[in-house]
Amino acid sequence: MDFTFSDDQLSFRDALHAMLVGEVTTDRIRSRWDTDSGTDEALLQQIQAFGFGSMLVPESLDGLGLDLVDFVLLAEACGRAALPEPVVESAMVVTPLLVDVLDRGLGNGFVQEVLDGLIAGTTSVAVAHPINPCVNFAHRADWLLLEHGDELHLIHRDSTTLKSHKSVDPSRRLASVTFDPSSDTQIANGEAGAKLWRATLNRGALASAAQLLGLTQGIIDQCIQYSTDRHQFGRAIGVNQAVKHLMADVAVQLEYVKPVVYRAAYTAAVSPDRADFAVSHAKIAAARAAMLAARNSIQLHGAMGYTWECDLQIWVKRCWALAREWGDDGFHKNRMHEWLLRPNALLGPEFTFGRRSITDSVDVA
Amino acid sequence: MHLRFTAADEEFRAQVADWLSENLVGEFAAVRGRGGPGDEHCFVEERKAWEQRLAEGGWTCIGWPEAWGGRNASIEQQVIFNEEYARAGGPGRVGHIGETLMGPTLLAFGSDAQKKRYLPGIKSGRDLWCQGYSEPSAGSDLANVRTRAIFDEPSQRWRISGQKVWTSLAHESDYVFVIARTDPQQKSHKGLGFFLIAMDQPGVTVRPITQLTGTAEFNEVFFDDAVCSAEDIIGEPGDGWKVAMGLLGFERGVSTLGQQMLFQTELDEIIRIAKSNGSAQDPAIRQRIAEAHIGLRAMRFNSLRMLSGVADDASLGREAMIYKLYWSSWHRNLGKLAMDVLGPDAELLLDGPYELGRLQSLFLFTRADTIYGGTNQIQRNIIAERALGMPKEPRGTAT
Repeated sequence: MDFTFSDDQLSFRDALHAMLVGEVTTDRIRSRWDTDSGTDEALLQQIQAFGFGSMLVPESLDGLGLDLVDFVLLAEACGRAALPEPVVESAMVVTPLLVDVLDRGLGNGFVQEVLDGLIAGTTSVAVAHPINPCVNFAHRADWLLLEHGDELHLIHRDSTTLKSHKSVDPSRRLASVTFDPSSDTQIANGEAGAKLWRATLNRGALASAAQLLGLTQGIIDQCIQYSTDRHQFGRAIGVNQAVKHLMADVAVQLEYVKPVVYRAAYTAAVSPDRADFAVSHAKIAAARAAMLAARNSIQLHGAMGYTWECDLQIWVKRCWALAREWGDDGFHKNRMHEWLLRPNALLGPEFTFGRRSITDSVDVA
Repeated sequence: MHLRFTAADEEFRAQVADWLSENLVGEFAAVRGRGGPGDEHCFVEERKAWEQRLAEGGWTCIGWPEAWGGRNASIEQQVIFNEEYARAGGPGRVGHIGETLMGPTLLAFGSDAQKKRYLPGIKSGRDLWCQGYSEPSAGSDLANVRTRAIFDEPSQRWRISGQKVWTSLAHESDYVFVIARTDPQQKSHKGLGFFLIAMDQPGVTVRPITQLTGTAEFNEVFFDDAVCSAEDIIGEPGDGWKVAMGLLGFERGVSTLGQQMLFQTELDEIIRIAKSNGSAQDPAIRQRIAEAHIGLRAMRFNSLRMLSGVADDASLGREAMIYKLYWSSWHRNLGKLAMDVLGPDAELLLDGPYELGRLQSLFLFTRADTIYGGTNQIQRNIIAERALGMPKEPRGTAT
């Protein structure tokens, strides 16, 4: 048992963080708000150079062959920067879905081509899971992965109808998608399709949870700075217990959420069929910490925190959006209930990391 | 203890309700339910006209003495008026700062000349007021104001320079009351004066502040050698803090009952949506709706208890000190409940560029509730230090 990350994993994260700190300034995020695309294409190229397109693609398909545990820290770094572009979803949700399709020998002639485009950074793809009423950045996706019952369809954006919706978070670009499913566009169905959609939901919820961790950290960073700089009653406001405890409460939650999210990443990577409860726990806990951070940070900033000018809103509005995406608190709590209250639920210490296999000598999380 | 309204009170209630239903029609039909907290930027011209309609009906400043145009209404009647006003969907009052803060302050501390000059304009709904208290470096630490007032002997006028911030309705107001430093040698609450200043003059500049809702309800106000006459200071130079604090004490809580009617309307709307979108089936949501209802009932009972026995100008008891913390926390939870009832739709705006739905607006605005008028942290200090008499938090040296 070892909960730590390797030096390679950490230094990769640190390099990405350093790049994002320099490139994703709040001025540049705000300038995206005034554009239709909402994206910075030059930045997307820089992120692509980190290997986001190929990271979670197996070596057999010309990828880097890393897994969700390797990626979770990068997703966290993107959240900490409040990065608007949907690169985490692309790498962590879309790409593994296409890989799964190919792994199962499913798909049509387009799947390999689309995956190659993702790896090369020349194609962008978005996924529409029915749990989300809208797809973020559907307009800039060349291809969309769409659901029709248990069926999975891959369809070019030009053959769909998109209806734009404004998000409470001005960094997001939402659209609802309608399309005509046909046998030409279908790449999976039946039990295989249902399994793919379930795994997609888990990866999506995990992607949200990891970004929420980073967003929470980003909020703490700003609050520490503000409570040091802002003076009232002749001293920094942060000396007051009533103020500093607002952040201490967030810090406690954040640290307790980290291992939950990391464990969910591990389970989703190693034993995806059994990841439901681990992912749901991660999403519930990460969203709860982030919502507290959003609330307490506005409070800590006083009236400034309530203004459009204050950059804090970039983070808190993302928290509000991601807390609901890929299943809200109620949805994930219900998945936890179902699992916990099963007659044969295995809850002892030997099952901390999942079912101790009886037929298998290897403990598979 | 007798927990009922008298027959005379019920008659008054009917009178108020009848008048409102007869008058919130025609040109005023559109303002029903509008212009409240989070919506104050809407229908401003209509709401200004509405103030005058109210005044013509004798429904402004009803708690004032009859000598100044009021009805000398009892606390119960003021409560009833506010409740019926909110129930009828009466629009957010653009005149409320003048009526509930400036007027009572003039009545208590003002000279006869000041009363004659300013009270009729407030009473008639003609003059709108705003409040110049907070500054960039004087928020929670209000006594740290830096705005200066210097008396200019040759012109016999006060010259005011400095900056105020978070000034609600400044862009619509005719006058502002300002606390400013009359004695630059003094720090903190000493050496302040309380001034009445006309907004329409070259030395006053208003700049709106956009909130995270995308709307602008409050402002920065810059004073650059703004002037007021020698008669426009309440009390003497140095009395400013006493007057400023006295003013805050006049908000005796009668408007809180109207506020609670608005809360009830919001809760009703949330329950309606929960029933229609199925979230009312969720046991966790059902529990929270029940808790919201329980909390609101307790709030109403405590407000009525708080107002009982305040028959004269005596200041409120310590139970009044808990009110801000209680309602702001309750309302904040209501905002979160609203979002959870909406589910995934909570993220979607009605329209661009940033048009919020009513419940989204509620959710975002409740973030401010726990900040303005004394943050929850400051409220807890007040409760601990003033209501309970616990030792005071040490303060630094003003800089």
